[in-house]
Amino acid sequence: MKDKEYNESLIVRYLNGNCTPEEQAELKTWIEESKDTKSEYLSIKDIWDSINSPKESTAEQLALFYKNQYEKSKKSRIVWIRTFSAIAAILIIGLIFSVLVPTNTANPSESVQVFSVPMGSRSKVILADGSEVSLNSGSELKYSSGFSSQNRVVSLTGEAFFKVKTDKEHPFTVKTSDFDIKVTGTKFNVCSYADNKYSTATLEEGKISLQLKDNSSTLKVEPGEKFLLDRKTLIHSLDQADVESEIAWKDDQFIFKNIPYSELAKRLERWYDVKLNFSDQKLQNYAFTGKFKNQETIWQVLDALKLTSPIDYQKTTFREFTITYKPLKYK
Amino acid sequence: MYFHIVLLMTEFDYLFRKYHRRLLLYTLKFVESESDALDIVQNVFVAIWENGKYKQKEELVQAYLFNSIRNGCLNYLKHQKIVQKFENETSIHLLEMEAVHYQSGEKSLIERENLKQINDAIDSLPDIYKEIIVLSRVEGLKNDEIATQLHLPIRTVETRVFRALSALREKISRKSFFILLFLRRLQ
Repeated sequence: MKDKEYNESLIVRYLNGNCTPEEQAELKTWIEESKDTKSEYLSIKDIWDSINSPKESTAEQLALFYKNQYEKSKKSRIVWIRTFSAIAAILIIGLIFSVLVPTNTANPSESVQVFSVPMGSRSKVILADGSEVSLNSGSELKYSSGFSSQNRVVSLTGEAFFKVKTDKEHPFTVKTSDFDIKVTGTKFNVCSYADNKYSTATLEEGKISLQLKDNSSTLKVEPGEKFLLDRKTLIHSLDQADVESEIAWKDDQFIFKNIPYSELAKRLERWYDVKLNFSDQKLQNYAFTGKFKNQETIWQVLDALKLTSPIDYQKTTFREFTITYKPLKYK
Repeated sequence: MYFHIVLLMTEFDYLFRKYHRRLLLYTLKFVESESDALDIVQNVFVAIWENGKYKQKEELVQAYLFNSIRNGCLNYLKHQKIVQKFENETSIHLLEMEAVHYQSGEKSLIERENLKQINDAIDSLPDIYKEIIVLSRVEGLKNDEIATQLHLPIRTVETRVFRALSALREKISRKSFFILLFLRRLQ
């Protein structure tokens, strides 16, 4: 065996997949030389493997899983119907139901169901009463396993758009850390991230009543209005809202009108699961307006901003950018 | 970007979302092809779905998942050995040795949930090491590509990658050591 440095580069070449068969054999002899060399190699490889970042998406894999299971159950259904009578078919329908709704039977005691959406992605949940909830990046929706069309209570951190199934008898309640919202059947957007300065509720359709956490008075919000709460001072207001840009995110669009840099950075960070650092306070004086369809990558978005506003950016590490102030040059 | 609809968030969904990525990362230790690795992970989830194991306590399920993955990988390697009999036997042999090592109760960093620790450790590396480890692992560049990009001799790149990995190993084990000390004090 040659010098230490030679071994080091040999291991790296092997991990990287650039070893010749002769070099591989050489490495194998070295690894099998002693317990120490073996554990040296294995601990280096373990670190190497742990830094790996596969690009697959868990949500896609989960969808694929259900698709395969569904196709499997379809196939077995055909075979069964051929071989057995209609009674067997009824049994199978029962079986498919038990496969599709495992929580109800498997978990009779009350427990909390948590649906959380990681940074950089969005998702949609259909609740047991038929209401639809679109969840934005970095949000979490919780409800007890007792959730039903009679008992409609959920709690939310982050941002969500609710399309609540109409039922005047059983109101639907959304709890956030700042306020509770009670509705009977409406479409509305709630934004209540733990790290945001403001929490908001915007109504598209119907009626909602809103109750602040430390206040017994209830507020009524009308369609097209936006309730805004400063989470620190608890000062709140009710204004006409630009509903379209507030809820564009649920259709994978990103519209922002006259928002400060800090707000823009926060939204982009959640949307793309990146970190945007900035040091120059001058940026705070600029308001940003723009519209993106979500096909753009973070690079394209930053490039577009660079062209139209006084910023420049640099990639610092994986998923991290530094934004600097750079005056625009006019021709 | 995806948009996907779930009817009910079940215990199974929870397990899938929590463990899928870690299991995939673990499988990629032994299985080079990402699509084969995805198949192995899917099969393990099919198994716990069909035998109902996912309803058990989470620690039990976690142990079961990693054991199944290890066995799945060993079988895969055995099969690879037959398929590529004369091609790449040495590397398969090394992978098998590694899989057996982790089967004997030894836990990998991925299994010990230390992924965040590793990211933190990478961030605290000196710049020349950090740069090279990000290029090589996160961006997936080959050593010769890094050499061209940074105008360095390839041997220097290889040595630096190794030094970066060693530094990470030291950082992580030192951290674990402090955690251990801290736990002792709590007891």
